[in-house]
Amino acid sequence: MNIGILSKRKTMMTGKLKDYLENKGYTVSIYTLENLIINGTLLNNDLYILKSKSLFFLYAGFFLEANNIPVIPNPQISFLQKNRIQSHFLMKRVGLLAPEIYLGTIETFKNQLDLKDFPFILKPIMGSGSKGVRIIRSCEDLKSENNTILYLEKYIKGIHYNVYFIDNDICTLIKPPLSNEHVDMKKIETPDDIRDVIKKWNDYFKGDVLFGHLDIVREEANNKLYVVDPGSFPEFTNWKCNISPVESICNLIIDKYKKLHKNHNNN
Amino acid sequence: MKKIGIIIDKYHLKYKVTDFLRYLKSKADVKIYIEESFLLSSENLNFDEDLFFIKAKGDLILTFIKLIEDQTSIPVINSYKGTWLAINRFLNSVYLKKAGIPIPDFSLNPKGIVPPFRDYIIKNIIDQKNYKFKPVVHKENGQLRVADERALNEVDKTDPKYNYLYYQQFIKSKWEYKIYGIGDEVYFFKQLPILVSPNKTESRREIDEISELKEYCYKAMEVMNLKLTSLDFLKAKEQFFLTDINCTPNFNYIKDGHKIVADFLLKQAKK
Repeated sequence: MNIGILSKRKTMMTGKLKDYLENKGYTVSIYTLENLIINGTLLNNDLYILKSKSLFFLYAGFFLEANNIPVIPNPQISFLQKNRIQSHFLMKRVGLLAPEIYLGTIETFKNQLDLKDFPFILKPIMGSGSKGVRIIRSCEDLKSENNTILYLEKYIKGIHYNVYFIDNDICTLIKPPLSNEHVDMKKIETPDDIRDVIKKWNDYFKGDVLFGHLDIVREEANNKLYVVDPGSFPEFTNWKCNISPVESICNLIIDKYKKLHKNHNNN
Repeated sequence: MKKIGIIIDKYHLKYKVTDFLRYLKSKADVKIYIEESFLLSSENLNFDEDLFFIKAKGDLILTFIKLIEDQTSIPVINSYKGTWLAINRFLNSVYLKKAGIPIPDFSLNPKGIVPPFRDYIIKNIIDQKNYKFKPVVHKENGQLRVADERALNEVDKTDPKYNYLYYQQFIKSKWEYKIYGIGDEVYFFKQLPILVSPNKTESRREIDEISELKEYCYKAMEVMNLKLTSLDFLKAKEQFFLTDINCTPNFNYIKDGHKIVADFLLKQAKK
């Protein structure tokens, strides 16, 4: 079987996935933004792994699905997590709390935002993790060119968690606010309410989400949990639980592919 | 009186909807939300409109549509799906082709990697801003390469900046067919292609219905969940090809277009 991996890089988790799958006898090609051409030439693989969810990898994923090539994780679900507007409304549909969002130009914010509402978090609309994310304590912190529309989220003050999950295994870590996945984090026992959030998230997708992570903040004032950033395919840099992420993820993907293939053949 | 919300940007408000607004205001209560001066808050759901009409496609507009669709029962024309797909050229090419509508061959390539067809036109990937098509034409050894200046800007200069170009196989056609879909009504025009005659309105004329194009128009509107659209077709060897689809068409080219659209919106409104 030929497997393609759509990924920003060839190293780190992507490299490990490739090594593992090749050791299992699969032929694996990695497509980065240097060599990814999105047309019929992509259709020579049997399965694609959508490691990165930047725009052109998502385009490739949608193109492949439209041409009946399985893509795991599901491109539509990955898109819903990548696009912060979609992600915000997705959380509401799932029944989880998400910070309120605001969009406007700098002038609009200066004229209409209430000073007592600061601070906010400025985020790119298409983004994930901490890239391009800044805390905005006053209108003076806002900068943009050409009257661009900016996206702000209400800042939730509290404890920040990075919660990984692979199938039924959950690994919960406390992280510094606004940090990326790779900083040193302290593992904790997963609290019951966080376990409930992960269950709700996974139940919503009815088996289509095999692994991932949620950045969650426990609001200091009332102990409520807000999901501030979902991720469809983290690096699992800080995974500190028993199982091996690479082996587990590869096995979940191959099992899912076999199920999809079987259903396709039965239909 | 019905209440109609118009979600629009300054450009469209200034240049595209004067007659439409004058007519609509004589028939309905109209509230205008302008992208550049509206603060969109996910907490604010106090809308009493019977319908929202979208006449722009920026990021705030897209969020606004999503908010209305997800959090209220107010109809929106056009939908989030239709608007999102219309601005994402590659995606609408994929889904329209899958639906059986003939699309010229297309490929999304990193800059420097040529497409698998000889004559091509390079188009912008995200069609979200209010620029006009500005062709840059190269002919070399019988090969024709046309690029939209906006696409070259995307890859070389300004925001949004990508390393990718969208290539569409070039279709040599005597006429460009411009089709407008407004609900169930379809309007047919043709004009000389812009590369032949840069002033597109000079040669534009209304034509009789072409049933094949009408079917493609209905199919495209269904696939993309659009109630209002314009489609561009080229024709080569008796085969039509859909080259562009728009979710905020300029309906002023249709005789009484402003009235037709306003009356259609009023029919679609809740009350």
